[in-house]
Amino acid sequence: MGVISTDSPDSAAAATARPAMARVPLARTLVFGAVALLLFLLVVLPFGWVLNNSVHDDLTGAWTLGNYARIFQSADLLEPLFNSLLLAVATAVIAVGIGVPLAWLVSRTDLPFRRTIRVLTLTAFVTPSFIGATGWILLAAPNSGWLNALWRSLAGTEAGPLLNIYSMTGAIFICGIYTVPYSFTMVSSALDEMAVELEDAAATLGSGTLRTMLSITIPLVTPAVIASFILSFIQGLTLFGVPAFLLTPTGIPVVTTKLAEFYQLFPPEIFLAAAYCMPLLLVTAMLFWMRRRILGRKQFVTISGKSRAGRRIALGAARWPAFGAALLLPLVSVFLPYAALLLVSLTRAWGQGLSWENLSLYWYWWALFGNSETHTAIVNSLLFSTLAATLCVMLGTVVAYIVERRMVFGASLFGAVATVPIIIPGIVMSVGFFAAYTRAPLNLYGTPLLLVAAFAATFLPIAYAHGGSILKGIGPELERAARSLGAGEGRTFLSITIPLMGGGLLSGWFLVFIPIIRELSVAVFLITPKTNVMTTLIYNAKDGGNYEAVCAMSVLLLLITLALVAAAGPLTRLTTVRRTSRKTGRKSAPAEGVLPT
Amino acid sequence: MSGIRIKNLRKSFGAYTALHGIDLQVPNGTLLALLGPSGCGKSTTLQLLAGFEAPTEGEIWADDVLLSSARGVLPPEKRGISLVFQNYAVWPHKTVAENVAFGLAIRRLPKAEIAERLDRTLRTVRLEALRDRYPSELSGGQQQRVALARALAVEPRILLLDEPLSNLDAHLREEMRFEIRQVHDLLGLTTVYVTHDQSEALVTADRIAVMKSGHLQQLGSPEDIFERPSNAFVATFIGANNELAGTSEGNGAIRVGGHVLTAPDRSGAAHGGTVSLCVRPSQVRLFGAEETGLPAEGCNVLSGTVQRSAYLGEYRDVLVDLGGGRTLRAFIPPAQSFAPGSVVTALLPIGSCQILGPAA
Ligand SMILES: Nc1ncnc2c1ncn2[C@@H]1O[C@H](COP(=O)(O)OP(=O)(O)OP(=O)(O)O)[C@@H](O)[C@H]1O
Ligand SMILES: [Mg+2]
Repeated sequence: MGVISTDSPDSAAAATARPAMARVPLARTLVFGAVALLLFLLVVLPFGWVLNNSVHDDLTGAWTLGNYARIFQSADLLEPLFNSLLLAVATAVIAVGIGVPLAWLVSRTDLPFRRTIRVLTLTAFVTPSFIGATGWILLAAPNSGWLNALWRSLAGTEAGPLLNIYSMTGAIFICGIYTVPYSFTMVSSALDEMAVELEDAAATLGSGTLRTMLSITIPLVTPAVIASFILSFIQGLTLFGVPAFLLTPTGIPVVTTKLAEFYQLFPPEIFLAAAYCMPLLLVTAMLFWMRRRILGRKQFVTISGKSRAGRRIALGAARWPAFGAALLLPLVSVFLPYAALLLVSLTRAWGQGLSWENLSLYWYWWALFGNSETHTAIVNSLLFSTLAATLCVMLGTVVAYIVERRMVFGASLFGAVATVPIIIPGIVMSVGFFAAYTRAPLNLYGTPLLLVAAFAATFLPIAYAHGGSILKGIGPELERAARSLGAGEGRTFLSITIPLMGGGLLSGWFLVFIPIIRELSVAVFLITPKTNVMTTLIYNAKDGGNYEAVCAMSVLLLLITLALVAAAGPLTRLTTVRRTSRKTGRKSAPAEGVLPT
Repeated sequence: MSGIRIKNLRKSFGAYTALHGIDLQVPNGTLLALLGPSGCGKSTTLQLLAGFEAPTEGEIWADDVLLSSARGVLPPEKRGISLVFQNYAVWPHKTVAENVAFGLAIRRLPKAEIAERLDRTLRTVRLEALRDRYPSELSGGQQQRVALARALAVEPRILLLDEPLSNLDAHLREEMRFEIRQVHDLLGLTTVYVTHDQSEALVTADRIAVMKSGHLQQLGSPEDIFERPSNAFVATFIGANNELAGTSEGNGAIRVGGHVLTAPDRSGAAHGGTVSLCVRPSQVRLFGAEETGLPAEGCNVLSGTVQRSAYLGEYRDVLVDLGGGRTLRAFIPPAQSFAPGSVVTALLPIGSCQILGPAA
């Protein structure tokens, strides 16, 4: 401790001096390098290969714009585009037409059993739509469908089938009912968040219920309604399973099923398929951009499952009729198809009809242990989903951290790349990964790694956005305090940031695990018999005619999914960091689920 | 422990410049208060000192070690500088003891030494009894002490405090003020203490640096700052002050409206330059207009009308309208009393007046 000399250090030396440790630490370089490399491999490379392939000829490999020209010249290739647009518009109309009134009933009125309706709608939400389609094939196939059989038993055997699920109408119906939960969730959360005071204010000014609705409620939820229309449109446009199950058998092509067709040709027209992805990408990119304009940064809604207490509109005599109407959606999207799948899966041989002797758990035993193919698929599904969700959450969280704390110049570019997959339909992702990783030097075809990577990439935007929203709630000074006490960036991240993110990280993990395990379209071009997963097995087995096994697999997948959804909340709460020492202390706030909208 | 030397420190956020070339020296072991109105760049200065921001220009030295320059920044964890944040930033997922011991664990000290230093630090801030509590079970003042203990436990060379008392109630603030000074005296740490509360600065600091809009206005002892402010802004910011704007009439004289007043001139302004006459209300004496034989020698004499008068027990706070939109505040003995509207003569002792220039 000496008295400081007043003259400054040699100014010539000072002008060129650098603080001693100003070099970029090695660890930092390694982490950023790894993140950049992963983002490149998971997003940029597949996307780049799709672009590159789209301008090359399948036969000669030469550079050409011919693929694009062909799309717009051949009626064969234009028809699926129109069919897809039709399916998309109809899906969006149904989703909004049913979802918005349903959301209003549940969030704003004294409808009986509101919570139950909410839970059932959430169940429809997590039901993979191609499994719903399978259930409805049992119900409404023109000849064998139960509802048609019921109809014939009433109207006489010579009567034609009442319903035909193998039709555009059928596909629209299925896409529609499984997209309703999206619009329902978005609009009901908008209604839940909307201050009741606004409505009350209008009411005290003498405005009646209808007036209030027209002048206050509707304008406030309009952005959510428009955004959910756009999202439902994208769903209808990009769904693969439902049209593959319901439209391909009758020869009605849509863009997604047409893409699959290119791969089944001999020789496969893979470069044409790449070009064929572009109209789809263009439309989804445009729609997401519009949605962003409407919603701003608020692109995710919280699902807390609880509706807010407060004044509700009395339905009066319409209460029970309204309840009946609200029950229609769960009836067609959950009860009927689940019942059909369950019954068929529990019969030893479906052709022998329903009887006590015919009931058995044989097909479950068969799927789980008896058949190596199904057994492998179940193990693969669980394993790949676990690995992919873990990779996805880790990468998404680190990218979110880098972006949120602006750790490097151009950090937001990382975020932009991590968000790109949101506009890429699953089937296009599949095309991209096939293009990028079935060639040297990175030939991963047939390896689990290919599927894990593709799954992780597809749901990276969810993990990234979720990580970002948690980090926004953690003040940077909590981390800076650790830095000023001597902890480096890595140590601070691990011992301060990660524990503070706590249960949020686990809920993020479930948030990607659940869609991954039920994902079909991303996997379709990437699987081999050894890397089959449950969804692709169901998809490939549906033509085999072994409906009992398909149903048993479907029910198993549903059970796994629903069990995970049910477990996610409590597990997340358990792992949320303890913040009080006393047992009686304040409970930590329950972690909310966040779903991409 | 080391002294701090800040040389021509500039910091810009895009087009906005938060600091315009600050020069500041904090000798080893002193407690410097960084004082200024909201948004003047106090926190920015601390973030630069702690190494969370890089300067646009200029240098920060600790003794003869260069910490920051435009060419690079020694990372925060390598500086030996502890920062206590405006909002404490106590980690909610760690107990009091875990919070305080964190920095020691980082240093991989032996277990026994960690325990010993933890106990000592907790004792210093009187938190022994609360060591196993979580922050959500502590009061604001206790959390503040945890933040302070956490910063002290690592035995930093320099301690930075960013408005550490701003979230506390008046009573606790008073108490903590002395506590911080006590800890400083005990450990002799070079400390920079940010505040916008002038009495906090006067009570705690050895030296005070007054800032305004990214410029350093004055650096000096509390007495310097209060008695010999370098400009009218400092005079008004510290303590109650009258500021009568006018133009310089050459050395020692200022024209205020129709009057020419005299006072020690510390403005350095040329004839005709913009200056102010500053005088503390406690130095102003008031007399009724009818009174004669006033002790006017060595005083500037002004007359005006009483606008309002407030009785504050110890003294009366009287506002006098001087005409021309000028007012003068005077703290007079409570025994004296003037009704609003009465005409008074104000005596401003020349020795208590100063002619000062505007803020830098
Ligand atoms: N990251 C930033 N980007 C842009 N401007 C900033 C940033 N940080 C600070 N500023 C601006 O710099 C100025 C100084 O900010 P600073 O936080 O240092 O003020 P302060 O003196 O600490 O004020 P207070 O007493 O309110 O805490 C403010 O005008 C602020 O808006
Ligand atoms: Mg501040």
